[in-house]
Amino acid sequence: MPTSAIVLIKEQAQRVKPPRALFVPFPFGFALGKPDDSEFQHKVLAATLDLFGSDSAPVLAEFPDEADAPAQLLQAGLAHADLSKEVDLDPVDEVTALRGYFERWVEDHDGRTGVGISGVPQRRWRGLMKYLQAYANGDSVTFEDMPAGMPEQRFLKLAADDIKAFYMEARMCQRPEQQNNDLQSWFWTETATGAMLAKIAARLSESDDELLKGAAFGIAR
Amino acid sequence: MPRLEDLTEIARQGHLNFPVFEHSDAPFVSLNKPLSEAKLALVTTAGLHIREDDPFTSGDQTFRVIPSNTHPRDIVQSHTSIGFDRTAFMRDVNISFPIDRLHELVERGVLGGLSENFYSFMGALRNPKHIQEETGPEVARLLLAEKVDGVLLTPT
Repeated sequence: MPTSAIVLIKEQAQRVKPPRALFVPFPFGFALGKPDDSEFQHKVLAATLDLFGSDSAPVLAEFPDEADAPAQLLQAGLAHADLSKEVDLDPVDEVTALRGYFERWVEDHDGRTGVGISGVPQRRWRGLMKYLQAYANGDSVTFEDMPAGMPEQRFLKLAADDIKAFYMEARMCQRPEQQNNDLQSWFWTETATGAMLAKIAARLSESDDELLKGAAFGIAR
Repeated sequence: MPRLEDLTEIARQGHLNFPVFEHSDAPFVSLNKPLSEAKLALVTTAGLHIREDDPFTSGDQTFRVIPSNTHPRDIVQSHTSIGFDRTAFMRDVNISFPIDRLHELVERGVLGGLSENFYSFMGALRNPKHIQEETGPEVARLLLAEKVDGVLLTPT
């Protein structure tokens, strides 16, 4: 079956040699180049589909550089964080304060949201945030809405991903001009929830349990 | 991504030494009809699934089925890698999973049609042996059973 692939790392494609591949000079997360730009995405797609016309393999083509390609994500969101900084707002109140922006984002995106992978409905978030706050403070707590049978470290990761998606979507609605590095910087240095997740990650990374320790890495980014 | 020469030394070395499956050659199979008559499938490694499906777990080498008529609001990302910008996908699923664009290409007559099902794996795996030996061939069999003519592969 013939395939044509978009690839983000040319040097790896040269080693793997997929039959047809288009190298695109975009950051990770931007395979088609630009979000909300269907014309540009069609250019990338056309260049990829053109490779089906090749009469030999491997073919590694290159999409031309675009001067206004988005900036590369600075990995490690926690690198932005100042753990000693006191944030006045409570995470529960902060979520309430951002909810209007989040709801407008969802409305503007035809119902789309990245929030929802933990399985905790948003009407239960007050309880979720209370649980996470207690966890961050080192208390021994349980959360009654945690899906049955799910290991704690997995739940913490999925809940953290949901919360980060909520914050990012709310912030993108509030400040549409901000790109990922601005968003990361805001979340980890200016929000109570960023500080809370950083504390959870710190607690996890001090654990003797390797699974909990491993979860810290993904939560704090 | 930006060219490796633009990255920090540690990131560059990480990518150059990532343990990929190296090959000396590539199998060549031609598309035996024009794209305008071909049925195309989309397979991604972006760690996507429909909202009700199970999220990907660390090191997960299983796949998720995403029917090609799924509305973008029902597609979520649970990729466990921390090495990419998720906000692009939050803005627009088509940035990694060009489902709307492919439907547009069918409407324009550029593509003959789309498979009933699209598929998602999760990438950034250091040893995707189970995909190579089990779940990858399983998806290939499902695509062949649908009489797919060509497959578009996208990363995140």
